[in-house]
Amino acid sequence: MRAARANCPSRPIVFSLLLALVALVPEVISAAPQKNSNEEWLVLPGDIGRPGGRLVVSLRAEPKTLNPLIATDISSREVIGTMQADLVHIDRATQLTEPALAKSWKISPDGLQYTLVLRRGLKFSDGQPLDAEDVLFTFRLYLEEKVHAPQRDLLILDDKPISLRKVDSQTIVFQLPKTYSVAERLFDGLSILPKHLLEKPYEEGKIAQIGTLTTPANQWAGLGPFRLKEYVAGQRLVLERNPYYWKTDAKGNRLPYLDELVFLFVPSADAQVLRFQSGETDIISRLGAENFSVLSRQPGDYTMVDAGPGLEYNFLFFNLSDPTEKTPSEVPQKQKWFREEKFRQAVSAAIDREAIVRLVYQGRGAPLWGLVTPGNRRWRDEKRPHPPRSLEKARELLKEAGFSRGAASNGDSGLLDSSGKPVEFSLITSSSSAERTKMATLIQDDLKQLGMRVQVVPLEHRSLLDRVTQTKQYDACVLGAVSPDADPNADISVWLSSGGLHLWNPSQAHPATPWEAEIDRLMKEQLYARTFGQRKKLYDRAQEILWEYQPMIFLVSPDILSGARKAVGNFRPAVLEPYVLWNVEQLYFKDDVVKATR
Amino acid sequence: MRYLLRRLWHAVFLLIGVSVLAFAFTVLAPGNYFDEMRLNPQIAPETITALRAQYELDRPLPVRYAHWIASLLHGDMGFSFAYNSPVAPLLLVRARNTLLLTVTAMFLAWGIALPLGIWSAERFGHLPDRLLSWATAALLVTPDLALALGLLVIAVKSGRFPTGGMVSLDFERLSLFGKARDLLLHMGLPVVALVLSLLPLLVRHVRAAMAEVLNAPFLLAAEGHGIPRRVRLYRYALPAAANPLISLFGFSVGTLLSGSLLIEVVMSWPGLGPFLLEAILARDLYVVIGGVVLSTLFLVGGNFLADLLLYWADPRIRTETIA
Repeated sequence: MRAARANCPSRPIVFSLLLALVALVPEVISAAPQKNSNEEWLVLPGDIGRPGGRLVVSLRAEPKTLNPLIATDISSREVIGTMQADLVHIDRATQLTEPALAKSWKISPDGLQYTLVLRRGLKFSDGQPLDAEDVLFTFRLYLEEKVHAPQRDLLILDDKPISLRKVDSQTIVFQLPKTYSVAERLFDGLSILPKHLLEKPYEEGKIAQIGTLTTPANQWAGLGPFRLKEYVAGQRLVLERNPYYWKTDAKGNRLPYLDELVFLFVPSADAQVLRFQSGETDIISRLGAENFSVLSRQPGDYTMVDAGPGLEYNFLFFNLSDPTEKTPSEVPQKQKWFREEKFRQAVSAAIDREAIVRLVYQGRGAPLWGLVTPGNRRWRDEKRPHPPRSLEKARELLKEAGFSRGAASNGDSGLLDSSGKPVEFSLITSSSSAERTKMATLIQDDLKQLGMRVQVVPLEHRSLLDRVTQTKQYDACVLGAVSPDADPNADISVWLSSGGLHLWNPSQAHPATPWEAEIDRLMKEQLYARTFGQRKKLYDRAQEILWEYQPMIFLVSPDILSGARKAVGNFRPAVLEPYVLWNVEQLYFKDDVVKATR
Repeated sequence: MRYLLRRLWHAVFLLIGVSVLAFAFTVLAPGNYFDEMRLNPQIAPETITALRAQYELDRPLPVRYAHWIASLLHGDMGFSFAYNSPVAPLLLVRARNTLLLTVTAMFLAWGIALPLGIWSAERFGHLPDRLLSWATAALLVTPDLALALGLLVIAVKSGRFPTGGMVSLDFERLSLFGKARDLLLHMGLPVVALVLSLLPLLVRHVRAAMAEVLNAPFLLAAEGHGIPRRVRLYRYALPAAANPLISLFGFSVGTLLSGSLLIEVVMSWPGLGPFLLEAILARDLYVVIGGVVLSTLFLVGGNFLADLLLYWADPRIRTETIA
């Protein structure tokens, strides 16, 4: 119930946006003055802005590189997102694919060939034209084993790489080794790179060393709305308007509106709030609930926006993996309880998710009963039950599984297993996340009412990952993850028993249980299914199984919170990353007064 | 001369020892830089293994240490996983910002502590001295973090000071005077925070050292000869009390790089603080080691400087080493 309510405010907006889009399209095409028939710009709906101005945004960490081939951290990706463009793009508001550098794509009847046609007249930010050669070169880089690009693994299906060939200077055919549902979503985030700048370093084997932040501005180029201007180590990165950008507004004005985009490096969340309050930055994002309410309470010349739950899911899981030589001897003993489905179901039933939303996120989040968050509009399973917390049900389940309350050998009263051992385990969580530590403490209290004794152990983040993924030295863990995309395929390594993110028992050679085998089958089938209806049915079934066996006990999905000066136009935070800068080319300052005083 | 050579020899040994220990400890720390990638569903485990191999994380420790020493001799100080570039240039540009802050703060703190400590020692046991003692004690027990946050609150409430950073965005467009003013304004709060955290310790040491000397017979004799107070205090008493203070000075040189890390993070000063903190949390191994070694270099350098000064200030050391 709450989930639906929390999401409500954003839905009508999206619908009206969609309507506006549909209504605008015919008009837009006729209204947009195509100055030159050799240029095919993408026309964006939205408020018509005024050109000029400098937008200042703070980043928690310094970006590490401008090179999309090696960037893995959030800050680098955020910056690269404003400097590069992809062939097909996922609209962060509708969560659907839309044409980008490719003006259209066609899928062959067998689903194995994707023919993409590039827009005419495209130029990199240094003025050099783009053609099919650049696209071929880019994908060669992504697929090259020695480059170790993180994108490479997306382009390998069934151990075979996607291949591509050029038809003419505007047309490229992508050949898939196997049918793959929504292959066009793969193109999102795969920046098309300039061959004229990268070919030489590539041949010299130095591709990973280029694109550092100290690169001179004239030696770096992209197809995004902004291009490199200046970098000051430890302080800021200044980007300027790309005059060759390929989008216009409905009146035919070339985007982006802003002259400059400045990223300030502000190392702590509180300092970011201070900078925003004092007017030194124009936009703040990735806000915690506490800072959000502080900013919302204090009047200022800014608007705070709660975009509803995003794609982050927080969950509790027990260690169900096979013991390694490093596993402490008491873990297998405890795993006897953890492997009991009813034990996990009882824990799930006893956890008060509403309380977590209220106490940890000040109500700015949604309780969760599955991996698909309410922010994922197309894929959430509306029929999933949302059972309220029930201690009675939990006790009943424990009883059925042979647990009983009684006095242990040391005299304490608590929950005992069938052999009379007290149920006691530790719950590790990341100390760098205050929210998750609070969650763990609330869970500790919830489970105490069942007679379980839980010790909360906050660990430094890397130590935690080491225990969970490498040494398996843990009983239970509270963790959070963000789906990289709204499509189920993005989370495939969580679902598959062979996946590295199948955290409760990762990278299995063979599925350990029949239900994991069944999930494997369903997920693989949906991977190759062609229609949305088929895929949704398979995916809903997989979610149902996950809920039934509770290897991951889902807790809560926090809202995406951000804010901007009132003067910033077209500010429409989305629940997909990057939350606020996804439409940076459309952001503008509403009046000159604000600009002059800044 | 032998004395100095021996100190220098010690310093080199210390540096080698610290670098070996830094290496050993970073290996003991659980997890590594590439663990975070394991949580990225789009990166295959094989890619992570390949990256680990590329950065030699799977090689034995002595091999890595030897490679690191080689890279140190090339002036690189190893390789940052996160930035995909040599460590030295990354560290140096930030160390410069840190030094700007800490050197200013150190001179200010000593400049205030010396006269204040002497003034207090003169009134030893009387009310003004007691009040100052209380004040320094109060400052001493105030955590740096509280101090920095308190100052930030003042900055926000007054609106006069910037809330962080080193220069304004328009810095490049300002006149020379405007640039200086802008930089000073940004330095104001962090420098005050640093001075306040350094000051109580210095004042107390100066006071104690001076109080001990002030009762010495030679000063009574000087007073009897009618030598003015200022000259007595600064020309006669201070050099006699200097020994422990010189050691303290050497130590405060040693903390120049590491002393302001916390303040830098809180006040978002673009120095080593935020940079090293991020590197430690991300397990960017060689950056952390580079930071540790650089700080040790300053510590060793500071101590060496103090030894030099002691040698110059105290004739007893000279005779000892000759003997």
